[in-house]
Amino acid sequence: MTKIMTVDVLSSIKGAQPSETVNQLFEVIKNADTSNNNAFNNNHNNGVSLDDLRDDVVIDSSATEKQIIIENFPKEKNGYLVVSKVIEE
Amino acid sequence: MASQIRKIHQQLMDKEITCTQLVQDKLKALKPNTHNTVNALLDDVALELAAKVDAKIKNGDSIGLLEGIPFGIKDVYMLQGTYTTASSDLLKHYKSAYTATAIQKLLDAGAIPLVKENCDSFGHGSSSENTIFGAVKNATNPNLVGGGSSGGSAVNVALDYTVFSIGGDTGGSIRQPAGYNSVYGLKPTYGRVSRYGLMAYASSTDCVGPIAKSVEDVCIVLNAMSGKDVKDQTTYASKEILETDIATTDGIKTVGYFKNFIESEAIHPDIKSSFLAAIEKIKAKGIAVKALDFFDANTLVSTYYTLAMAETASNLSRLDGTNYGNRIEAENLKETYAVTRSKNFSEETKRRIVGGNQVLSQGFSDEIYLKGLKLRDQISENFENDFKEVDIILSPVTPNTPPKIGDSLKDPMAMYLSDAYTVGFSLGELPTLTVPQGTATGLQITAAKHNDELVLKFANFLKDTI
Repeated sequence: MTKIMTVDVLSSIKGAQPSETVNQLFEVIKNADTSNNNAFNNNHNNGVSLDDLRDDVVIDSSATEKQIIIENFPKEKNGYLVVSKVIEE
Repeated sequence: MASQIRKIHQQLMDKEITCTQLVQDKLKALKPNTHNTVNALLDDVALELAAKVDAKIKNGDSIGLLEGIPFGIKDVYMLQGTYTTASSDLLKHYKSAYTATAIQKLLDAGAIPLVKENCDSFGHGSSSENTIFGAVKNATNPNLVGGGSSGGSAVNVALDYTVFSIGGDTGGSIRQPAGYNSVYGLKPTYGRVSRYGLMAYASSTDCVGPIAKSVEDVCIVLNAMSGKDVKDQTTYASKEILETDIATTDGIKTVGYFKNFIESEAIHPDIKSSFLAAIEKIKAKGIAVKALDFFDANTLVSTYYTLAMAETASNLSRLDGTNYGNRIEAENLKETYAVTRSKNFSEETKRRIVGGNQVLSQGFSDEIYLKGLKLRDQISENFENDFKEVDIILSPVTPNTPPKIGDSLKDPMAMYLSDAYTVGFSLGELPTLTVPQGTATGLQITAAKHNDELVLKFANFLKDTI
């Protein structure tokens, strides 16, 4: 995809603009020297080992949990989530 | 200060006080919300649990150490059936469907939740002013900020409104408010405490930790919350830290500090001189002290914010008024997302989401985001090398004393730079404790990864040293 997306579209925030202050932080990174570092090390590799994966099982939510999830729906009709209008593009 | 938890436990066992009376007194103190620390009081559940503890005691049953101890919860943790707002308009009416693992472990131990505590919205801030519930006021001087993002939690502990509180620390959000309000605050090693049920800010540095008035209480609460959790696969199994393990300074021979933190022009002269005085007192006890080189403040802060913004942009993308949150209707679904997020997120949150999407977008990720990751690796490597030479790294918590309420929001760069001494340890995933000693905003004690025990041990040593 070659379409250029502006930050307000990327962020789904109407009228959003890049911040000058935040850009200053990014400039520091752009100018930093990382030449001594050839590859990612394992320092913050928190991935779980294959031997330690959790069981692939479906855990049913409690009745209370289900009830609260429904209460939290921004809009609900007959127990279903209601959206404004489907995107048609 | 001695352990508040042990003191109250004894009073309950000796029937000097009832748990109901204790909880009522704390709720009464919290109710006027004098320092804007309260997002929601949990009166009903707290009193119901207190009555159960009283019934047990009356029955002659023994109770656990944390049973009946009232505590506070930063308003980013799920507690089933309570509102979890993240101090935001977007989630003002969001009710937790389930309970966070760390909080559940405290409930299982019998601790009593009193209050959901004010904080910076989604953890986005260092002053607890970025909130819809009013700026948190400092416990000592109400004209100053309470610090952030776990400001409400630190202030509640400092004012004895809670016995301990559970904060969240992504780049300093437990340690800095603890320092600003003269209490203890621990960011454990990343992964020691499960993040399940903590509203995600930057998942790779988010940590759950206690704020309390003594090393002993920090230790008790840490032990209760720690452990492997299948619901957070970054967690690891850890051993209980015994009081006897942290009573002596065995194993601490050398302490290091970062020269550039202290030589920086940004540090307040009083914080600098009191830090150096503390170093002299440590030396006088026969511990070797080594000055270390470290990354400059600009690189640390920029690396942290680049990565944290990228992660928060991703984590908060679900908050769109359809999956979660207060919806504002517009002409179509896309517009509804955009308007909902524009109106319901604070300026600071929007700044971070936009920044995150900038660095993750095509053409920018290589020169900013991926480079930020490389810098993080270098920072971690630097720590690994340091801990071959020293056992503990000691630092000030902040370069300056707490700002006046209103000042941080006007100058976001000053706020970001105020995190210069805390963010590095977050990127390194290291256990770091703020102690209310040594400088006006305390000291940070850091040890190598997984060595939380050594941090607490050194904190005990400092109690008698400075």
